[in-house]
Amino acid sequence: MDENQAVQYLESLIGQTLRVHATDTRIFVGAFKCTDSARNIILASTYEYRFPSTSAVRDTVTSAENEDSAIGAAPQNVKANMTSRFIGLVVVPGQHITKIELEETPQQSRVRETLKKS
Amino acid sequence: MMRVISQSVVPRDITDQFTKAASRLRTGQLVKDEYFTLFEAVGALEIMDSKMDSGYLGPGQNDVQALEDDYDTTRELAPELVIGIMDELLCHEMAWHMGHPLSQTLFTSLYLDKLLWPIPKTLEEAHFCRPGSTTNKEEPGMVHLVLRAYCLALIKCCDFVHARVINEYFYEEEDFVTQLYNRSLLSQFDPEYFRSLLDRAISWVNEQGDSIGGKLKEAISCRLAFRRDFLLSLDQDLDVIQSRSASHFSSCLSRLDPIMDSASLGRSVPEAFSWKIQRKLASTVPPRPMVKISVEDALAHLKRLCQDAIDLLDVLDYSGPHNLKVAVWTLLSRKPQPSVYIRSLVQSMIMSNVTVLGAVPVKQFLYDELAEIVLPASTLLQANTDETEMPTDPRFQIANHMDAFVKRFAQPFVDTFRSACLNRCRIRRTVCHTIVDWDNLQMEAEDLDEQLRTLNNESPLMLQNGDATYSYPLSSWAYHQKLNQFRLIIQLGFELSIYSPEELPGMYWYLSHVCSTHLGHIDRIRTFTVATAKRNLTALAGKKRDAVERHAALQNTLRLLERLTTQIVAVDAFAISLHALYVLLARHEILPTAAAAQAYSSERLRYELRMKPFLPITLPELVPFDEYRREAILEGDSDEIVLERATKAISEARKAWEATLANGAFIRDPQDQVNQTLAIEEDWKKDVKNTMRACIGASIAIETMKKALTARRASNDAVSLQVSIPEMGSKARWHDWWVVPQVSPDPSGSSDMKPV
Repeated sequence: MDENQAVQYLESLIGQTLRVHATDTRIFVGAFKCTDSARNIILASTYEYRFPSTSAVRDTVTSAENEDSAIGAAPQNVKANMTSRFIGLVVVPGQHITKIELEETPQQSRVRETLKKS
Repeated sequence: MMRVISQSVVPRDITDQFTKAASRLRTGQLVKDEYFTLFEAVGALEIMDSKMDSGYLGPGQNDVQALEDDYDTTRELAPELVIGIMDELLCHEMAWHMGHPLSQTLFTSLYLDKLLWPIPKTLEEAHFCRPGSTTNKEEPGMVHLVLRAYCLALIKCCDFVHARVINEYFYEEEDFVTQLYNRSLLSQFDPEYFRSLLDRAISWVNEQGDSIGGKLKEAISCRLAFRRDFLLSLDQDLDVIQSRSASHFSSCLSRLDPIMDSASLGRSVPEAFSWKIQRKLASTVPPRPMVKISVEDALAHLKRLCQDAIDLLDVLDYSGPHNLKVAVWTLLSRKPQPSVYIRSLVQSMIMSNVTVLGAVPVKQFLYDELAEIVLPASTLLQANTDETEMPTDPRFQIANHMDAFVKRFAQPFVDTFRSACLNRCRIRRTVCHTIVDWDNLQMEAEDLDEQLRTLNNESPLMLQNGDATYSYPLSSWAYHQKLNQFRLIIQLGFELSIYSPEELPGMYWYLSHVCSTHLGHIDRIRTFTVATAKRNLTALAGKKRDAVERHAALQNTLRLLERLTTQIVAVDAFAISLHALYVLLARHEILPTAAAAQAYSSERLRYELRMKPFLPITLPELVPFDEYRREAILEGDSDEIVLERATKAISEARKAWEATLANGAFIRDPQDQVNQTLAIEEDWKKDVKNTMRACIGASIAIETMKKALTARRASNDAVSLQVSIPEMGSKARWHDWWVVPQVSPDPSGSSDMKPV
């Protein structure tokens, strides 16, 4: 990938929703605005997601168990929500990024696949 | 607020591609949204930066330590603990009233957090058991009934305060922090719900037999009853204009002493409050420490708030703009200054829906003011377009001109009242800005005056030198307003400790200069009023009814002008005297100085700085520095003359302040014998008496100076005196606006130690 292609690729992502995972396991979801050679990423209208804390998981498990015991089945998996809050415009420094994900609708991903083949 | 996402979105890992592409960029090269500016980028919060990222956990902190609070809000509590939590919440509530953010005060409560997050859709949803259950399943008791009712009503109280404050002028973070961190203060729910919740809680407490001790029961009931009264008081808000009742606030006030007395019964529950909740708030700052104020301070603040709210009723009885201004100023000059809620409430009362005090249309208000000072019983104020529709009729044209005047002047005039509701520093700043507007307004009023004069066939007054002069009522009035503002800017300068000691001689000279200009101007207005009164005498002899009415109106104006004169003479004389005293202190080099000898500041630069608000003003003209300097140091006058000046002026000042006190705060209708003195009137009297104390203090200082000057053996000897300038708020500072130096014999410098 030469510089032109790199710029082209990154520009194609501008305005799209990215999920940026940070070293402390938090996930930042927002509109991609800007990046540079150090992979610093600026996101607008960002939400911060944090994995549910141990006690929140414990509470969910307990309440799930209660419901399960009512219908008499053993619990397999429980779902606890991640906690989220709005934090607006943020810059995630490159060295703190562990993973970058792009949010796509199924249509978008189909279009991409088609383009790849051609 | 939750992010809206369609279910079908799929994330795709692009880490490698992204990293590869980014690494191809040159250093300093950016790929960015074309509408995204670097200026905006500066505002972005840096994630993982401990100073900016409110969700950042330091090394060694894990989720449990940094985010979690192992506190069970559902467990039942002993009455002592409930009292403790209620009192702590009250402290946090008052700290918020005092200007601290919710994040560091009320929002540190785990109970409130449970009630407010996630945002409840119904009031039933707001309980301590969430998340998990949708309704309050717990047994009604101390926590789930009593504390919940108290907490919900408290939030609603905050909602009322918040709504009132954000509707008016206030300064964010200076007066108040309005930030709600994306939470709602239950605004959408009817206050009636909260009241009935409290009622239920109160009767539940009363129904409990011996399970709760008598004293504890009483303490809890009292707190619930207070909350109920406070809720109703704040719910009343502007309706007080109609209801004219402060009964809810009075009732609040009566409960504060019992709350104070029973505070010791409570046991605090520090675990029920946590600064960690701040990490969950939509906030751009990392958590800050919790604000702690004592129950005593909280109740003292609350007490003042209630008392101010009760005394506010005095302001509501309208009896002319002069009285209203005195009432508003006196109430808002209370020390400490009334809380931001009260100040916002007064602002809304002064003007809402283009009516003053909910009763007087703005036009009428302005006309009343003009009639009080410059246009008693004038045809200018009686002309009305509704009655004369003939465009050629002079009355029609007068009415048109007057309407234009009202349109232009009503807002700035009302703002001279509203500005008193700002915090003290902001009052001065605001007046420094508006004084320039008033300078322009005065010129506009002059044009109007000239046009009205021809329409009105005003006959000129002949001056002694044979020149004809006209009354210029509207511009005269505007000038009067402007001179009031001049005086206010200087006097607030003393109150706000803006001037350094070496500036005091000059600033008191300037104050007296503004006063004498103002006195001259009032004399001019009086001359025209007297002339009109004379013309009216002939008609009065004919016992015409309108002539009698006109006579009464003219007399009222003359009385008001006299009252204003007395007051300004009092200020003037006191200023002259202090000026002279400070000149002597400066001459003999015993006046303390703030600037070091090698400081860059100079007298000329300081004068320029102090005159800054007045530079753009056309009238009165700016005093050139050289002239100012000559006047300020009383150049050419010997010590004896200056001393004489100080002595004479101070005795005149004392007489004038006594006369001012005797005149009373308000203009009263002589027929109307009201014996009841208003609370605000008491404040006003106290203020005048403090000024008189300052006068006495000044006389003593002058005497001491006189003795020291005569005690010297030779005229070039140093004066052995010690001078200190009392700080604002100290006991020796009798009045904010009068900086009276404390002059005492110097214990170290007895005369025989000096070289002969």
